[in-house]
Amino acid sequence: MKIIPNNDQYILNHCTRFLTRRNTDARHNFGQYDPSDPRARICEAWRFPIIDSYAGAADEDSHAFNKVTFVYPADVAEAPDQVGVTGTFANLYELIPLAPVRFLDAPTGYFAVSLRIPKGRAYRYKFIVGGKAVLDPVNPQQVREANGHAWSRFFTHLYTQPLSFESWELSILERLVDHIMPFRTKEGQDFLQFFYRQLDQQQKEQQYVLSYRLDQSIGIVNFIDNLVAREERHHLIDYKICLSMIAGIIRKRRPGIEPARASKEIFIDLYGEMASGNVMDWDTSKYNDPAYFLQMLRRHAFTGAFSHPKYGGNASALGWRYLADRFRDAKGATLFDWGRAIEQPLGTNPDYHG
Amino acid sequence: MAAKLDFDVIVIGSGAGGAPIAHELARQQKSVLVLEKGPLFLSQSQATDGLSDFKRDELYAYGAEKRLTHPQVENRQAAFFSSHVEPDINDEPHIYRDANGKDRATIEGYTAQVIGGGTQIYGGVSLRFTERDLMLRTFNAGRTDMAGTDPAGDIEREARDWPLPYVELEKYYCKAEKLVGINGEQGNQLKPFTQKDTYQRPLAPNSISRYAYDGMLYTGKGKGPGGSDVLPYRTPLAVITEDHAPSGRTIISVPDDIKTSYVNRFGDPLGFKSSTWNALLAPIRNAPNLSIHTNCTVIQLASDGTRVTEVRYIDPSGQERLARGKIVVVACSAIESIRLLKLSAGLDSTGFGRILDQQNDLLGKYFLTHAFGGASSVMPERSDKTRSLDADWATDYCATDDFLKAMRLWAGAVVYNNTSDQALPLALGRTHSATDLDTLWHGFANDFGLIGQGMVDFIDNDMGRGLSVSFMANQVPQKDNRIELHPTVKDKWNRPVAYIIKNWHSHDKYLMDTLALECANILRAGGNATHDYPIRGFGGVYNGENGIARIANHILGGARFGSDPRDSVLDPDCRVWGFDNLYVTDGAFMPTSGGANPTLTIEANAFRVADKIGGRL
Ligand SMILES: Cc1cc2nc3c(=O)[nH]c(=O)nc-3n(C[C@H](O)[C@H](O)[C@H](O)COP(=O)(O)OP(=O)(O)OC[C@H]3O[C@@H](n4cnc5c(N)ncnc54)[C@H](O)[C@@H]3O)c2cc1C
Repeated sequence: MKIIPNNDQYILNHCTRFLTRRNTDARHNFGQYDPSDPRARICEAWRFPIIDSYAGAADEDSHAFNKVTFVYPADVAEAPDQVGVTGTFANLYELIPLAPVRFLDAPTGYFAVSLRIPKGRAYRYKFIVGGKAVLDPVNPQQVREANGHAWSRFFTHLYTQPLSFESWELSILERLVDHIMPFRTKEGQDFLQFFYRQLDQQQKEQQYVLSYRLDQSIGIVNFIDNLVAREERHHLIDYKICLSMIAGIIRKRRPGIEPARASKEIFIDLYGEMASGNVMDWDTSKYNDPAYFLQMLRRHAFTGAFSHPKYGGNASALGWRYLADRFRDAKGATLFDWGRAIEQPLGTNPDYHG
Repeated sequence: MAAKLDFDVIVIGSGAGGAPIAHELARQQKSVLVLEKGPLFLSQSQATDGLSDFKRDELYAYGAEKRLTHPQVENRQAAFFSSHVEPDINDEPHIYRDANGKDRATIEGYTAQVIGGGTQIYGGVSLRFTERDLMLRTFNAGRTDMAGTDPAGDIEREARDWPLPYVELEKYYCKAEKLVGINGEQGNQLKPFTQKDTYQRPLAPNSISRYAYDGMLYTGKGKGPGGSDVLPYRTPLAVITEDHAPSGRTIISVPDDIKTSYVNRFGDPLGFKSSTWNALLAPIRNAPNLSIHTNCTVIQLASDGTRVTEVRYIDPSGQERLARGKIVVVACSAIESIRLLKLSAGLDSTGFGRILDQQNDLLGKYFLTHAFGGASSVMPERSDKTRSLDADWATDYCATDDFLKAMRLWAGAVVYNNTSDQALPLALGRTHSATDLDTLWHGFANDFGLIGQGMVDFIDNDMGRGLSVSFMANQVPQKDNRIELHPTVKDKWNRPVAYIIKNWHSHDKYLMDTLALECANILRAGGNATHDYPIRGFGGVYNGENGIARIANHILGGARFGSDPRDSVLDPDCRVWGFDNLYVTDGAFMPTSGGANPTLTIEANAFRVADKIGGRL
């Protein structure tokens, strides 16, 4: 396991604002925590562990890895002697020590270590504090094994496996997103077909992310899945309730068909009803306003299509490529030259490293 | 080893008001401590691993959605977005009183809390104020032509001349332009320049800006002295386009690639943007006589008699520490500086507080932002707006005395076109029909018709074709516009937060209407050969949904300087009246807010004050 040499300044830069505080109100709970969860006092607890770009000796290294920084905050007065981290990114039970972080002449109570960890994967870990295994007290992401055992979890950039949703939820979400974003229009489809067809096999493998099937629209659903696992965890519940309700409504309208396979018309009607705030058989005691859900979904879908691909949507920058392809001047040069500013290998900028 | 406690100068805040002083005095070999609340975020060339803490990444720069949870405010549960450097509104809100007398938190990130302050993420528009801007009392004395929009004569009563003439500030404008690193053009500006070559060469403008240029040519016809034409000039921008010797920054092989549209609202990973960090502090950060403590929040200035003796701060781990300086400079951005002075007064009402009280009741009063607004339209031909910095063309024809008299305005404005707005897709979505930053994503989320082909049409219509022209004008000073401490809402340190009480004067509204129409006329004139191109909309910020608190990121006044101790908080050198060694140098010093974006003036003034402080040490 490669430990990346760190300086205390970097750790404090990424900790102080979020973790250091005196107020103990649950100010940062937007529905994602139990009222008693101490994370509710912390600003943007989802930022931990800190997932950052990595600078390797070779470009390929930089492109393949993230720098992941684990932080354990302790009370300065009662700081433990030793803190370590163990997780699925290293040999299991290999204990990697966290170093105490200092400011000027004194310890801060923070312990930290930065590791080089491959992109595109999810990992489980625990801290070992004074010999005892504990969950990360900051990171809200946790998974429970079949035996009931809980771990803290994180995922690196370009992660493309479902974390938040079941496959039936993903399929319905896919249909809703298809209805909103333009990649299902005739032109949009043509563009996607063309993009994939022009790649030879080797290019396909080299492409930045190509774990998307052609019949999926550019990874927006994956983006949403990741987003509600981390940054906008408070919206996971909106999706859970509404997707289940939508499945039920479609089933009622088209008995015997898998909801995600219902006809286009069914989804058109449903979308229109949701927009009007009035969906037949919508249980407002479970979720008050279907239009509210739709607004959020619209924001997420658009964001997923055009955000940096590292967030798991805009696969292979297809959202950006679509715009670049669509807008051209009389000579055929693109009028959305996104790649010029973006780091390689995704973009072409020789100076900016992401 | 124990940390050093004693310094010649302590500078609190590293933005436009603080960094020039730290830079100048460190250069003069004084021992300087900078205390900065935010992190030390580096550009690629400053970082040991060659990676920056700023990214060309819209989601990273805008932030994910959060919810306002303060139970006391009317807009609790509202969505807000803040990046890793903008203040978190749940932790450190600014509260304002809305038109119905209810309290709300400002949703818009009011600055950046990071080394370099707001200048890390600003648009970099770096205009000088005009001679007239500093003489608005003189200019408006005895005028009777504004009675319709100023029936109570507030302007004549409240306008103040600055206690220094333009010529004195001008030296420091030159100095700031050179040291900070600004590209632009002097020609066609109506402000006097005594030195040539204070700017670097601008890069070629974005092609969409030609409409604004044509429009400005047309509307500026005959508006100059003796009926001459007022011509557009390239907007000075704080981004280097050539190697910059004073800061040791060098540019890239293809300078045009500096234009990326990741400028306004983005920190610059390559360090071309002339933030006060990149330009003034980073080049000397290893000097032995300069200490920069980041992630440190100052909570109290403690005094003995008329001297501030201790600066108390919370370090990155939450421990309280102190430092002592012969001189203490407060530059936390106007609202936060006033708050720090008021909190310090509250903690020691018989000492620090008594000295402030003895002067007058003006601390926090005459708080100012800018009368701001403009017009926007969708232009006939598409451009690649990703090749841009922030603003391309500017014109001064709305700042001439003749114009002001003809339009019955108390003060003038610069007008410039924005190039980078809506250049990137997320920006396009989140600002779709949003009137201000309280309503980000609302327009898009509610426009349910934007689906499938409708979405295609929306993108086709707006992407690369939107163009806006803005004005930046003086707001009428009013004593009631003020900063207080909020009675109940506390920050994450359990200290009262700032409370903004502010309204627009009837003349402000008239002025914004008048100037928005000029901006509309520029787009109408520039959009086609017959000068009647249709525009999408125009107006002033006061029209916005929460127009009272706008615009939250030009934070000025509240501790104005002046030569009469009964009428100002600071003396002409920006020293707090009544104190021997306490200075305030962010935008709080301004008695009027100027007809241009404020930062260059804050920087120039800070360089001026640095000379005064240097002379004392
Ligand atoms: C998106 C955006 C775009 C802008 N575009 C432009 C533009 O184009 N042109 C222009 O002229 N202006 C622009 N501005 C405004 C510009 O950023 C400000 O005018 C300028 O930064 C103000 O300087 P200041 O020194 O008053 O405050 P700041 O630059 O905000 O600096 C204050 C510093 O003090 C620190 N601080 C605060 N409280 C404490 C404390 N208690 N202890 C320690 N440190 C503290 C803060 O973290 C901050 O770093 C823009 C602002 C924003 C947000």
